[in-house]
Amino acid sequence: MNFEWTKEEAAFRQRLRDFLAATLPEDWERFSQHGPASPALTDYARSFCGKLAEEGLLTPHWPKEIGGGGLDPWHQTILAEEMWIAGEPRGGQYMNVNWIGPTLIRYGSPEQQARYLPPIAEGRALWCQGFSEPGAGSDLASLRTRAVLEGDAYHVTGQKIWTSYAGLADTCFLVCRTSDDRKKGISILLVPMDTPGITVRQIPSLIGEGDIHEVFFDDVVVPATARLGEEGEAWSIIAYSLTNERLGIPRYALAEAALDRAVAILKEQGDFSGEAIRIEAAHALALCRASRMASYAIVSRRCRGEAIGPESASARFATVMAERRVAEFIVEYLPEALADAHPYLKMHHQRGIVAGIAAGAAEIQLNIIATDVLKLPREPR
Amino acid sequence: MDLTLTEDQIAILDAVESLAKPYASAPVHDAGFALVSEELDRELAEGGFLDVAFDADLGTASAALVVERLAHLPYAIEAAMSALVRPLFGADLPRPFCLVEAGRSTRPLRFLKAGATVIVVGPDNVSSFIATAEQVRAEETLFGYPMGSLLVDPVSAATTKHDVSPEDVKTRWRVALAAEAAGLLAAALDSVATYVTDRQQFGRPLATFQALRHRLAEAQVRANGVYWLAINAAATLDAGEAALAALHAQESARATVYDFHQFLGAMGMTLEHPLHLWTYRLKALASELGGRGGQALAAADAVWGI
Repeated sequence: MNFEWTKEEAAFRQRLRDFLAATLPEDWERFSQHGPASPALTDYARSFCGKLAEEGLLTPHWPKEIGGGGLDPWHQTILAEEMWIAGEPRGGQYMNVNWIGPTLIRYGSPEQQARYLPPIAEGRALWCQGFSEPGAGSDLASLRTRAVLEGDAYHVTGQKIWTSYAGLADTCFLVCRTSDDRKKGISILLVPMDTPGITVRQIPSLIGEGDIHEVFFDDVVVPATARLGEEGEAWSIIAYSLTNERLGIPRYALAEAALDRAVAILKEQGDFSGEAIRIEAAHALALCRASRMASYAIVSRRCRGEAIGPESASARFATVMAERRVAEFIVEYLPEALADAHPYLKMHHQRGIVAGIAAGAAEIQLNIIATDVLKLPREPR
Repeated sequence: MDLTLTEDQIAILDAVESLAKPYASAPVHDAGFALVSEELDRELAEGGFLDVAFDADLGTASAALVVERLAHLPYAIEAAMSALVRPLFGADLPRPFCLVEAGRSTRPLRFLKAGATVIVVGPDNVSSFIATAEQVRAEETLFGYPMGSLLVDPVSAATTKHDVSPEDVKTRWRVALAAEAAGLLAAALDSVATYVTDRQQFGRPLATFQALRHRLAEAQVRANGVYWLAINAAATLDAGEAALAALHAQESARATVYDFHQFLGAMGMTLEHPLHLWTYRLKALASELGGRGGQALAAADAVWGI
């Protein structure tokens, strides 16, 4: 057991911080209030990710044989923490490098890899994930968007909703139904978003402009060669993707950074001397650290080559607890942060509401913990 | 960073496991509020399991792992203070090892009895004495530990001064508290999970009702967090990390103990189920070092300054 960063890991973190300090524009904190999927941040992310790629910092955790740095999951974690603390200047591209790229590396055909991996690795691509539907959110297997194979092409008809990045994405990682079997009837198509028949409508949101959308597929013709893996293989492909992504965004890192910033402001104002406020701040910090350590336990497993296991759901829920407590602290003691006084804190608050909702609702995480960690019998369905 | 147990730690925990096996289940009908075993205590001491932190190669993280594991047992064992605080004072002082803050000496102390070492932690110094029969009174408490009260002012009685800083003692005290609480929380949760899996109502196991499942899952998240914060604090011996670990432990005890009994229904208010042997120890830990407020203020001081 070693709870200290190695010199090399610490140097990697410092290198990222130096890069961020040298690269981000002066008004970055105000600028980053644009949601990660906004036109402004998406545009900025293309140049930022290009520079990251030039430094070998966009895909340092990808295997060397496909142009990555071959670094271990600790480095991936450090990278994710530093980017998220900085307000995620990679915009929606974080998703590409975290799980879309690795999934294509594992399941993509040579043609798909040749087409999609270079733009991801060079910081030029933006993907959206076509998962949720009006009738299939947490219950993803109920999805109804249908892909019917006619000759050598699928005809796709249906609707996706709450789709992040869809407004500006080049490609959709589309989960759709190719037969009636609940789970084995689901397949994945890689669909260029400029394909005729796709309509995107933005949904106004609490988390910034341009973040979530409805996407309509009206007899969209997609060549069969755009299918990822075999027909009906989506469920196992998604399971593999989640091994790369289930821990999700290291929100505990931004939550702690926001808490530190709020405390610094309150101290400066002479408002951090009372016992009540100090106690509240410490409770929030304890949850941030608990979340961090629970996540690190999972990263350690990944480094040993083990499956991340259902305990990752526990780490995810711990992150939700931390995110909420920090947000509550700021709302209570520094409400001007939700106006325009402190852009960094406003950015944190805007994005924080996503924690328990996106990428697997908190209640689903609790179900996983109950069934697979505590080994309780399942609920009747 | 690597949170993998070392081979030495795995070997120690395996040995603890073997030693503890005969004590894994509790003769609850005879137990009352606290269950003790002098034989188990002696075996642990003779086996050197409480001296792990005296070995620099094994360190306090390994000692915390032992403490956490022993807290899973239904028996109350004076392991945490001996394993994690005693190394500051040397191995010569007799066990049990009892800590008291100057100014908070009216409360009953865990494991206090004649012959125990009483460490008195003052604002500026640390001193100790070996309690005599005249200085202590055994208490019948609702807590899951054997407890005693001091009949003397500990500051006056503690004539042996130690060249140890009060802050270092409190840091290790907090680590000890958190490590023990981690084991207690995990064991209580296991016990409740088993009960609600077996107990049928409305034609199906209680564990299939989401009202219970989600609250138990949240308890698992808390117990897991306390575990990792405790081991991290033990490894680093950082004052802030220790205060945060103890804070999370006490807060998690508050958040879960009544739920655990609630989920057992009427069985949760009997002495026929062993749950209280863990939860009523958590209740005792909840008040130490000023409770949650005390830990929170200590954490805030350490992390953000005064």
